[in-house]
Amino acid sequence: MPSLKAVSVALDMVTPYGWGIDSCWEGLLSGTSAIRRIDRFSTSLMQTNNAATVPYIKPRRDESLVMQMLTPLLKKIAPEIPSDTFVILATTTGEIEFLQRFIINREHEAIKSRPDHLLNKIMLLAGTRGSGMVVSAACASSSAAVSRAASMIRNKECDSILVVACDSVSEFVTAGFSSLMALDRHMARPFDKNRCGLSLGEAAGFILLMSEERAVREKRHMLGEIAGWGLTSDANHITGPSKDGSGLLNAVLNAMKSAGISEKEIGCISAHGTGTLYNDSMEMKAIKKAFGENPVPLYSVKGGTGHTMGAAGLLEIIIGFETLNKKIVPPTVNLRDTDREAEGWVSSGPQSFESPVTLSTNSGFGGVNSALVLKKAEATL
Amino acid sequence: MIAVTGIGWLNQKEYGCVIGKVEKHHEGLDSLYSSFKRKSLFSYPVKNFSRFDTISKMTCLCAALALKDAGISYSAGQKKDIGIFGANEAGCLESNLNYFQDYISSGRILARGNLFIYTLPSIPLAEASIHFGLSGPLLHMFFNEKRIPSLLSFAGDSIAGGETPSILAVGAEEKNAICFVLKQEADISSGKNIGLQNVISAADKSNFSEMITALIGLV
Repeated sequence: MPSLKAVSVALDMVTPYGWGIDSCWEGLLSGTSAIRRIDRFSTSLMQTNNAATVPYIKPRRDESLVMQMLTPLLKKIAPEIPSDTFVILATTTGEIEFLQRFIINREHEAIKSRPDHLLNKIMLLAGTRGSGMVVSAACASSSAAVSRAASMIRNKECDSILVVACDSVSEFVTAGFSSLMALDRHMARPFDKNRCGLSLGEAAGFILLMSEERAVREKRHMLGEIAGWGLTSDANHITGPSKDGSGLLNAVLNAMKSAGISEKEIGCISAHGTGTLYNDSMEMKAIKKAFGENPVPLYSVKGGTGHTMGAAGLLEIIIGFETLNKKIVPPTVNLRDTDREAEGWVSSGPQSFESPVTLSTNSGFGGVNSALVLKKAEATL
Repeated sequence: MIAVTGIGWLNQKEYGCVIGKVEKHHEGLDSLYSSFKRKSLFSYPVKNFSRFDTISKMTCLCAALALKDAGISYSAGQKKDIGIFGANEAGCLESNLNYFQDYISSGRILARGNLFIYTLPSIPLAEASIHFGLSGPLLHMFFNEKRIPSLLSFAGDSIAGGETPSILAVGAEEKNAICFVLKQEADISSGKNIGLQNVISAADKSNFSEMITALIGLV
């Protein structure tokens, strides 16, 4: 039933490494981090001075940070987006500067910070006439959005869906994460024995998904397939993950079932890997329960890109497709002294692999978990 | 086919269960919470209920009503494969304003984590999932048209697609809230239920009171 497959026909992003997928891929492969000193608001009373910000994106009165990131990306791709495309926006705070300025200077209207306003701007930029929606599942927002899109294609509700994801580093979120004592003072070190928190990051990107049938009919170049997905809730704690990893385990099992594959077919895993003590430990427990004790190459991009919040899932899907196309697992940046639980699974250097299938996981506040099975484009034909 | 087995709702003065034909007055959310505890609508105390933001309180209260209406019981420590989807108009704008105003008023020294948590629109759903033990998919959505019908339709499609056997679909605002229990018709062994398409048609109203009246008219 080829028409039920959701395939990517276009994707792009801007990350703290710069514009485009290549800059991010090369940055990760080089093992260098894009986490740097924050220069857009005072951090003297915050838990850290550092975050992974996109170069040359600065606060402006006329345009939000996320729109500065999204506008060039969407203008470039707009001619390729069919006008009947359904649009899904994934973000946690969107254009939060409007609310910040409302409170600090009584400038702007706070209501303009609502994500439905941002969705309308995106639909205008993309030139779509169809419907749209915003998906919010904390830091699993964009992977949840992609799973919704793939589900809508599989259920034949739509055959062209644009998923757009974005979030920026703001005083609003940095102060919030500082209050939760969730930040590493220097740089996030996912799966490291000495990890002590996450680093915030920002990014924006999109993925245009179509049914395979429509992609073939329109002679689109297929870049990869969203083959399966699982979304669960820990139903456990509002900020901390379930310690036994059972919620994420169920999401992974559901994703593999949805894709009709077994764990043996998965060549590598893109973990959420925030660098917090509890998240990384929970993830390793869930992954080991799903995959057994034989290690599968596993990596986190967040030591390099920072935790890009609502954009994290999409960024990691795009990098996931790169791993499949290049047959290389990127290193886990900032990994120096591997935690015992992750030994044999993560590496500070690149690794090669052969399978055309990968798994990408995300988790977020409120105990939400998402898992996606990605397949290489050739494997879909 | 998907059916709705329970509908709970509340506004600033009243609350009710549609299928069970219950409609009562109340004196505010905190007194309603005490009353629900006495009447066992909450099997055990909702942790930190007094610290919840308004939308989280509305979500938990109307989820309790919907579960009661559907005849679903729950207990501490027992998880159910039920998802929770939500959609509302303002998202968490009020909580965003409260959190950031508090931070600025404190001289930008330290934000309050318990206010920051509610700056995510999915958190009220998470509070409900924790209390009621709902371990299925959790998702908040904004739709640019037909909010409640779109939410119901989306939840129905997720059940039909085999992603979860049952979903609570919640539309919670600061002043009113409604929650629907959806499941596959084939999985319903007893009790009244209403076809999802009829519920979607009745819910297609811009006014909350009109929607409740239309839904009651289905029973």
